[in-house]
Amino acid sequence: MSGPAKFKNHVKISERHGAGEWLTERVALALLMPLGLWVVSSVFTLAGAGYDDLLAWFASPLNAGLLILTLLTLFLFASLAWKVIIEDYIHKPLAKTLAIGSLNLVFLVLAAASVFFIVRLALGSAPLPAGIGA
Amino acid sequence: MSSSPLPGDASNDPTDKTGRFVRQPNGRIRPLSPHLQIWRWHVTMTASILFRVTIGAISVGAAIAVGWLAALACGPEAYAGVSALLGSPFGLFIGFGLTVVLFSFLLNGARHLFNDTGNGLSLKSANLLSNIAVWGPIPLAVLFWVLLFATGRVSL
Repeated sequence: MSGPAKFKNHVKISERHGAGEWLTERVALALLMPLGLWVVSSVFTLAGAGYDDLLAWFASPLNAGLLILTLLTLFLFASLAWKVIIEDYIHKPLAKTLAIGSLNLVFLVLAAASVFFIVRLALGSAPLPAGIGA
Repeated sequence: MSSSPLPGDASNDPTDKTGRFVRQPNGRIRPLSPHLQIWRWHVTMTASILFRVTIGAISVGAAIAVGWLAALACGPEAYAGVSALLGSPFGLFIGFGLTVVLFSFLLNGARHLFNDTGNGLSLKSANLLSNIAVWGPIPLAVLFWVLLFATGRVSL
């Protein structure tokens, strides 16, 4: 993971990759601020909407695209934020690695599933499990 | 030792009441050691801890959202069940909790980002930002749901 040390003005800029992760976490959080406001307004307009109204909302590429962007950014942020929290409280190497690894797996699966469902809804695909065996 | 004051030396500053700097027995000005057992609770601590709690809660909220997407993608019959659950008093209670979490994430996240740039770290600003992040989500969520009921989008 840790390649040769990088230097800037003869000063080591980061022991490993902590600074990059720190910055990625902040960029994701900054991106989530406007997206979160959009989620608030979308939840408000969609509250109490019926199935057909919801499908019409998902049929708009802007809505589907923004929702995919929101969830992917949120899961990226969550995995980095959880990593920091776990590193603060779990110190045994194996337990720490297992906790971070399994949470990353959960977030990866959730991210993939959300893209899968949103793309199907946006394309107006036949209700599941059509197309996957049934 | 030079006679010029060291950087951060407030030991001879009569306006400095913080007691942050002490003259050590060897004559050097050093910051007071942190007391690990003498401290009091501060709202910035609440804001910091609540942000971690919020991150946990919003992760669960995102998982619920993916479940909602799955139900929607499984067609009208599957969605009807989830929709009925969401509209039940228990579902509305969870929904209210998730809006508190969402507003908490926005306010506390904004506070964190602002503080990350090195701004708002004076005692007064930090207190104000923390108080907004800690208490703000509740009136915002109440307002959100009052508007939902008032516009007839949600009803019991």
